Amino acid sequence: MITSMEKTKTAKKSTTKEWSAWLFVAPHLIIFAIFFLIPVVFGIYISFTDWDLFNAPTFVGLDNYKELFFNVDSTFYTQLRTGLTNTFIFVLCAVPFCIIVPLLLAAALNTKPFLSKVFQSIFYMPSLFAISAIVIIWTLVFNVNYGPINSIFNTSTPWTGTQPYAWIALVVVTVWWTIGGNMIIYQAALNGIPKDYYEAADIDGATAVQKFFKITLPSIRGQILYTVVMTTIAQFNVYGQPLMLTGGGPNNSTRVLLMYIQQNAFGSGQSIAGIASAMAVILGVCIMIVSAIQFKFLRVKR
Amino acid sequence: MKKRTISSVVAFIFLIIMAAIWLVPLLYGVLTSFKSEMELMTAGFKILPIEWVLTNYTELLVNNTSTPLVKWFMNSMFISVSHTLLVLVVVSFSAFAYSRLQFRGKNVLFSFLLATMMFPSVVNLIPLYKIVDIFGWVNTPLAMIVPGAAGVFNIFLVKQFMDNIPKDFDEAAQIDGAGDLTIFMRIILPLIKPVLLVVALFSFTGSWNDFLWPSIVFNDIEKMPITSGLQLLQGMYQAQPTLLMAGALIAIIPTFLLYLFAQKYFLQSMSLSVGVKG
Repeated sequence: MITSMEKTKTAKKSTTKEWSAWLFVAPHLIIFAIFFLIPVVFGIYISFTDWDLFNAPTFVGLDNYKELFFNVDSTFYTQLRTGLTNTFIFVLCAVPFCIIVPLLLAAALNTKPFLSKVFQSIFYMPSLFAISAIVIIWTLVFNVNYGPINSIFNTSTPWTGTQPYAWIALVVVTVWWTIGGNMIIYQAALNGIPKDYYEAADIDGATAVQKFFKITLPSIRGQILYTVVMTTIAQFNVYGQPLMLTGGGPNNSTRVLLMYIQQNAFGSGQSIAGIASAMAVILGVCIMIVSAIQFKFLRVKR
Repeated sequence: MKKRTISSVVAFIFLIIMAAIWLVPLLYGVLTSFKSEMELMTAGFKILPIEWVLTNYTELLVNNTSTPLVKWFMNSMFISVSHTLLVLVVVSFSAFAYSRLQFRGKNVLFSFLLATMMFPSVVNLIPLYKIVDIFGWVNTPLAMIVPGAAGVFNIFLVKQFMDNIPKDFDEAAQIDGAGDLTIFMRIILPLIKPVLLVVALFSFTGSWNDFLWPSIVFNDIEKMPITSGLQLLQGMYQAQPTLLMAGALIAIIPTFLLYLFAQKYFLQSMSLSVGVKG
């Protein structure tokens, strides 16, 4: 008797509870549906249409993709090739430095040097600054005539106007801006490695290099995987640095795909949102494939 | 022991060199913002200004209608603060439900939300503009305040934090007849303050520094935030680097101050977030 009464009581309670639980998640779910779910579905659909952002989109099947991949005479074909190539060049150049530099800094800070907190703050700080402000400051640093780099080394290197200097400049700014987070992650990871591993290795007469590759790297494998994947995704979305530092130049050699997407969809003149969406989908697919590959290669080995 | 000292000396020298690379651009930017245009162009390379001037700042801040920096600054402040408040409310309510309440399909829904985090956001950029346009939000702060609250990561972070709070407290309150809202407001909310602070700091800086999205949804000079404003400024004053420096430095003051006062939380939170995800 008592148990059945309790049962009905809890059942009733759980339905009212359920109702209130939905109220708690509703604000987020509504915003999530309107500003994430619908745009994603719509974004994929739009890539199969001809659209100018304002009139109703016309379905054109795979035409946008055909144009982008196979129509050699099309400007969009050239844009995709240039943009995607430049994006990949940037990712390949920037990501290794965005991993190695903070790893070295974290290792150096892990020796607990004098002023280590101050050093940590200095390296982390730029990641909290707006990219447009950072690029303005670095534009001065790289200035041909009165920039400090050329003045100190007594050169007249046109940093942002010629290759390969333009790529070097972009990578330098990116590393300077973004490594703080990765450095903190590595610091925490290095701190977590038990000291006796190194003591045991010392007794066996291991060298510093051996210790680094046999103890340190395997111990922080999880954090390395995480940072490699996240950094790569972030760098695929590069936009502010080439837009404001090199203007995509010289000769479009640093014009990345996101710049073409922005220009086609929102630039001056008629919007070509269908093609731009197809470019965005292609970029998105590239990001997902690269992340999947990184997961596979960095995870399996143990 | 000797080996240890050698390696720490090497580490220290390395850190000094790197710190110089990190600081010199900033310091040179600060010093340049106090130079006159003439001096920068003609005096050759000097680190310190020969004559310290404030004209770059006054020109930008006083009676400036073509590039209203003060207005941009206030726009950014309003946007970032509002966005942060919205995120805090939405995230804490939602995380509470996923952590503490029972409803059908909860786990499936939460896993689905987590899975969407891996989806490349570039794909929804163009339709998002259209939706914001339909709502009439183009050139209004709402375009930057609301869409960002769709994110899932913060909910995950806060839920994880809540999961570690013992259930004894809420069960005791439940026995006393407290409803979900009371338990949330009276018991859980005070306990999750540390993680909410982290969410607030990152929401504010993220919103303040956002660059691509505002450049799409704002073309009205009066309405734009400071990141888009700086891009405009760069286009207009390409030949006046001293003025640009002043503008750039004003734009980084708020996040710089935030960092000075809340450094500990910024640094702690990085390991918090990777602990959750990794």
